[in-house]
Amino acid sequence: MTTTTPAQDSQEPAGVLGRPLDSREDPGLLRGEATYVADIDLPGTVHMAILGSPVAHARILSIDTKAAEQLPGVLKAATAADFPDVMPLPCIWIPGGVESHFPPHPYGLPGARPVLTGDTVRHVGDPIAVVVAETPRQAAAALAAISVEYEPLPVVTRADHALADGAPQLHEAVPGNLNAYWTCGDKDRTDAAVAAAEVTVELDLVNQRTINSPIEPRGAVGVYDPATGEYTLHASTQGPHNHRFLLSALVLGIPFNKLRVIAPTVGGSFGTKGYLYPDMALVLLLSKALGGRPVKWVDTRTGLMNSTVQGRDHRQHVTLAGTRDGRITAVRCTSYANLGAYPSTIGPGVATALMGRSISGMYDIPAAFCEVYAAFTNTVPLGAQRGSGRAEAAFLMERLVDRYAAEIGMDPAEVRRRNLVPKEKFPYDNGLGWTYDSGDYRLNLDRALELSGYAGMPARKAAARARGKRLGVGIATYVAVCGVGPSTRMSKEGMLGGTWESANIRVHPTGEVTVTVGSASTGQSHGTVFAQVAADELGIDPGQVQVHEGDTLKAPYGQGTYGSRSYSMAAPAIALTARKIKAKLVRAGAVFLGVPEDRVVYADGGVHEVGNPDNAKTFAELAMAMWYGWGLPPEIEPALDETTHFDPPDFNYPFGTHIAVVEVDELTGETEVVDYTAVDDAGNIGNPKVVAGQIEGSIVHGLGQALMEAAEYDENGVLVSSDLESYALPRAADAPFFTLGRTVTPSPHNPLGAKGAGEIATVPPAAAVVNAVVDALSDLGVRHIDMPLTPEKVWRRLRGEAP
Amino acid sequence: MDLTRIELTLHVNGRPEEFAAPPNELLVERLRDGLGLTGTKVGCDTGQCGTCVVRLDGRSVKSCLILTASAAGSEVTTIEGVTTPGGELTGLQEALRQEHGTQCGFCTPGMVMALGELVETARAEGAAGGPPPTEPEIREWLTGNLCRCTGYHSVVRGVQRACAPAEPEGR
Ligand code: FES
Ligand code: FES
Repeated sequence: MTTTTPAQDSQEPAGVLGRPLDSREDPGLLRGEATYVADIDLPGTVHMAILGSPVAHARILSIDTKAAEQLPGVLKAATAADFPDVMPLPCIWIPGGVESHFPPHPYGLPGARPVLTGDTVRHVGDPIAVVVAETPRQAAAALAAISVEYEPLPVVTRADHALADGAPQLHEAVPGNLNAYWTCGDKDRTDAAVAAAEVTVELDLVNQRTINSPIEPRGAVGVYDPATGEYTLHASTQGPHNHRFLLSALVLGIPFNKLRVIAPTVGGSFGTKGYLYPDMALVLLLSKALGGRPVKWVDTRTGLMNSTVQGRDHRQHVTLAGTRDGRITAVRCTSYANLGAYPSTIGPGVATALMGRSISGMYDIPAAFCEVYAAFTNTVPLGAQRGSGRAEAAFLMERLVDRYAAEIGMDPAEVRRRNLVPKEKFPYDNGLGWTYDSGDYRLNLDRALELSGYAGMPARKAAARARGKRLGVGIATYVAVCGVGPSTRMSKEGMLGGTWESANIRVHPTGEVTVTVGSASTGQSHGTVFAQVAADELGIDPGQVQVHEGDTLKAPYGQGTYGSRSYSMAAPAIALTARKIKAKLVRAGAVFLGVPEDRVVYADGGVHEVGNPDNAKTFAELAMAMWYGWGLPPEIEPALDETTHFDPPDFNYPFGTHIAVVEVDELTGETEVVDYTAVDDAGNIGNPKVVAGQIEGSIVHGLGQALMEAAEYDENGVLVSSDLESYALPRAADAPFFTLGRTVTPSPHNPLGAKGAGEIATVPPAAAVVNAVVDALSDLGVRHIDMPLTPEKVWRRLRGEAP
Repeated sequence: MDLTRIELTLHVNGRPEEFAAPPNELLVERLRDGLGLTGTKVGCDTGQCGTCVVRLDGRSVKSCLILTASAAGSEVTTIEGVTTPGGELTGLQEALRQEHGTQCGFCTPGMVMALGELVETARAEGAAGGPPPTEPEIREWLTGNLCRCTGYHSVVRGVQRACAPAEPEGR
């Protein structure tokens, strides 16, 4: 057993930021007091159930809901025909981007998903009809009474197959099923470097489709107020403001200010709950149709698996070129990305830019090129999944580096060391579209090698063999683009919408402080960490700071929580707002202290006169005085209430090195992760305890993809792994304790020096584990094994069977 | 006789509850929808996730796999019966808090209910001089409870802390 050793390079923080304060959210969660969407029980609530298609591809010839409407408790059944004016769900990340100050309409992308499907169903679970009844059971039972006549159509579930001649066609407007062909990097230079190389290695990789599986399924409660014409949506969402924008203006055609979106406590998301889903529109439409009765819908696990966006799903041919002495000269990737049946809110961007621009990882490579064919198939729409895009990129690059190291007979750690972007080259243009902000990659790698005891591995391998186990070691490094984002830069990536973040700080007469942010926690202890940020800046106790988020009526606009952006986007907005408050207090302090402004300093939560600490006012005194506003000159407004909209100059780029040690059982093919070392660099962090928790969870999520998780569709397009019996999630016995280390290179792109943290540690584990298992089996001639590394698959390779 | 309803009594968190339940009603439905005890969660349809664990006559069980009618006359303890609102945490909860054993919290009530039995047993055995549960034993015990946020590490550490002999009384 190893123990978690938080090894930190940072110095002891001066204030409350950077300290491992206990999460203030935890006690309520431990008592089971938090309200998740399924726990919301408004007076008069009725319940909605959704009829999803049982077949993957078919024309709908007829739908009859009459029998369902006769059943006890049923209030209404509805189909697409009931909502003729409702627009389809927009896709706001269209690869390729726009060079414009005025965004085009987001329905520029063909194949947009209707709220209810009227003519053709395109995946199992595609919503066809809804029923509202007095109880959830009545609503669910009524679905069985709806009769639908289907004319089956041929099915395709793989991206590469969907692009082949004669493949089944999903959308009339998209001939050949090709949603996007997207490239980045320099094709000619890369092809030339590959042709001229001393050594080339190639791999065919399947980055299998996975299901995020937050433990709380999604849900929504819609309320329409006939008196005011206003709508309220309570939803299990990670982006209430974003959903408000998409739903009001784009789907329902109602003014932005007539829709309020509230995210209650959200039971995990990992990317999936930032997407717009048909159910969110339906509960609002039905509440209106029923004169304002609250309409509630809570998904089942099987429903979630057939409707909530899925992740990864690339088939790739990848090539690396290099010299005999270990210098990488080029990397090239051709990827077939499976977008599923419809473009999800930002799925096309995840499959292209988020993956493609990251393929060269932490390495200084002279030539790189990536091309992505993004195709429609009869599967659940593709979206983000913890570490999305970056995990796929790290996987291909880190598999290639190991393959290359084996080919030239060099230690994989040494190959990595020789090719890392050197410290003095930052900011570093990776030639694929990203400019890395800061880093000391070599220090990070060396730290991981040291913490993992890398030098002692040969001896451990020999000892394991004596026990009938094959020990393998796998290294994976990564860079993860985070801090989405700089709005103008995002527009060039094709993102339709502002990606800035905002914060408001209101200081009350009692000296207490309320911080409101547009972000919304899905379990990241924002209340704790954001209070630390404000308290640290203002020099007050975090206990004085209350944090509000997740309600569009209370909080200023913000995109929400995704891509590990809250601490490098929302927290800087809080810090900058606190600085505005301090600046105002210095100006007002000059009045209260009776000295010129340049004689006033803000320190320790109050102001005092330079060189005369007795002439001072505390934060509480200042708060009260500002509220009264007595004696303030006209140029200083009373009260303390400031807002900042933060749009960073560029992304930030956390990075790290993970090292997995596995033991493969020669008899059973079982893989056990026996040691795992992770050294991540997320710049300056706000709360090490909270971040360590997210890193540990992220690693286990990554191990899940490596070892057991796979969304499997059969030839009819039926998701076979559609519950938690057939889709394996890692359980407590599937992971060891981890050894965690840290390096710290602050980002220059925000005032906190923060980089993304929440999901970054999901990026490298799959590559580290597969590298380790291939290492364990390398003497058998094994060069690659596709994920997930199930015992059977590994056992067959141990017996010398071909893949 | 009304065959669509079964008259029965449950003792929930020490209080007798009398009601008529449909024969196919699940215990978790009674607790959440019938009695408003929403601390118990539903995360799956197949008895796999453990978010619905409650104590039935002292044993931790998945309340989505039990019919209300079959629990007639039993003592049911839910997360609401373990603490008072805003009240003091139990030894186990406090240990989990100190180790930050919860993130989104959706798996947490089920974990607390499932682990309560382990910690009680361990503490009773500890008082009799027995060793605390090993890390593999704790992980094995947790096999019925899924968590997607924490990676289980802080939970395992929390249980170790709760079972350590010097810690305050667990419940
Ligand atoms: S809801 Fe009971 S085990 Fe998942
Ligand atoms: S804390 Fe989120 S599922 Fe466990």
